[in-house]
Amino acid sequence: MDLVKHLYYFTVVAEELHFGNAAVRLGMAQPPLSQRIRRLEEELDVRLFDRSRRQVRLTAAGQALLPEAREIVARVERLRALAERGTDEVLRVGVPPDLGSAVIAALIDGFREADRGVRLAPAEMWSTDQVAGLAAGTLDVGVVRHPVTVPGLSFGPVLVQRPGVVLAESDPLAAGSSVHPADLAGRGLVLFPGEPGLREETLTECRRHGFVPEEVHEAQTLGLVMAGTAIAFGPRVELPGLRWRPLLGDPLNWRISTAWRGEPGPAAEAFGAVAVRVLKENAGMADDGAAPVRRVRTRPATGFLA
Amino acid sequence: MTDFDGLFRAAGVTGFLHAVDLDTGAEVGHGADEPVALASVFKLALLVEFFRQADRGELDAAERVTVMADRRTPGPTGVSAMADDVTLSLRDLAYLMIAVSDNTAADTLIGRVGLAAVNTMLASSGLTRTRVEHDCAGLLASIVEDTGQEEMPTDPAVVARLRVLDPARTNRGTPRETTRLLGMIWRDEAASPESCAWMRRLLGLQVWPHRLASGFPYDDVAVSGKTGTLPTLRNEAGVVEYPDGGRYAVAVFTRSYGTAQNQPRADAVIGTAARIAVERLRGSGG
Repeated sequence: MDLVKHLYYFTVVAEELHFGNAAVRLGMAQPPLSQRIRRLEEELDVRLFDRSRRQVRLTAAGQALLPEAREIVARVERLRALAERGTDEVLRVGVPPDLGSAVIAALIDGFREADRGVRLAPAEMWSTDQVAGLAAGTLDVGVVRHPVTVPGLSFGPVLVQRPGVVLAESDPLAAGSSVHPADLAGRGLVLFPGEPGLREETLTECRRHGFVPEEVHEAQTLGLVMAGTAIAFGPRVELPGLRWRPLLGDPLNWRISTAWRGEPGPAAEAFGAVAVRVLKENAGMADDGAAPVRRVRTRPATGFLA
Repeated sequence: MTDFDGLFRAAGVTGFLHAVDLDTGAEVGHGADEPVALASVFKLALLVEFFRQADRGELDAAERVTVMADRRTPGPTGVSAMADDVTLSLRDLAYLMIAVSDNTAADTLIGRVGLAAVNTMLASSGLTRTRVEHDCAGLLASIVEDTGQEEMPTDPAVVARLRVLDPARTNRGTPRETTRLLGMIWRDEAASPESCAWMRRLLGLQVWPHRLASGFPYDDVAVSGKTGTLPTLRNEAGVVEYPDGGRYAVAVFTRSYGTAQNQPRADAVIGTAARIAVERLRGSGG
């Protein structure tokens, strides 16, 4: 006997207090309904309804059991609903925290439009944590800054961002319309934590263009910049106390792409397409072709099997 | 406890390490039993088997061989980089294989010694998780197959599919087994005492200063070792000897998140991590 179903019939009859009306509500004939209530009474070894008079009434036992029966029926319904939602696909995506709320919101909105069947579970993570998550299978798709890799990863189209420099408004360089890296001498530099590939590349380019930071801070916020103790590189910001200026000659080319492990599912592909569009439209990024290709000049100490 | 994870992360790498005091057996480990891709560190095992065969009279270490110019395994150093036929002794090939990680020298020795014999030696020494599957030419062939080019890739997508970086599909070992092998060489257990002394001399002649040795910038400390390098992979295993007689085998295996070939901090963290481990074994610091 399906106890939950029988309890559900019990709650409907108890509400209607009329077998005929209850049967109509349940979309069944009256005799099988009466029979099922009788079977439930046998099962529980208790009389639920008093049918002795012309009117149907709940017995004292029936009254006592009704709230429990309702509770059980409601709980089973909730369980079913949860189970149904659980079978819906969830796409766990990682995005770099510095992309900013507007870009992250546009990613989520864009994906909601593209794929309504899949729930997006975004997490703000730096690239190293993302590639670790992708490798461990705790993340489905990432948006990572290059160069970063672990064995077995695949990447979507690579986009390029040309960061400018963020200065304190009191910095004398804020008076000019653009800044050459060499002008930044004597200042500290704030870089994102958890972006080792980007960090190496950025520091190398800075050195090459005559800027050796006094000190390199790893921080998520621009507090040190606001305080005038360091500068940062990044997209244009409009914040009180800060000034953004383009870097002369665009010495920095920050590359970013989606990443996943193994074969991407349709949801992952849809997210990848949305990410590329949003990063281009909302974060000012361009296709990889815009960045100069760097030819690798090998050295003995870093060559094959050194 | 030393935060090795934090140290490696700050250099943009993940790393595994094992360090052991060769006289007391005291040890420091960080993922010491993780399987790792050896890269050129596999040449250590080849060196040991080469000298064992010499001890048994199966080959003459002083025999002169000619390495033809057209039979070279690519590589940036030693015979691999030379233009013409080269005639030299087997043990001088061993010197080039260790001092400058000469790939042609290694493959020529493998031609004499045999990879099967190297693996038999490893198994009989109890190093069951260390295995040499390929010679240098075989490792390069696998890279060419995976990338379609002979140059070492820096494109993250290409690096991600290299089989030579997957311990299950390449020459492999563990940090702990690597220091065991070094311990055998330093305690005269790997071969005859004369051969072990020869191996120690060759390892002391390694030229690279940027990894293990960079952690011990002291004139009175000797650092011997063998590096291992492949895209994103930087290793070194060696022995550090202090003036008070303390001697420590250290093996550090790292993998960088970034794909640039030149990452001085990733090289240097091998020395820094090794020094912290050794200082802990010596009862000072960390």
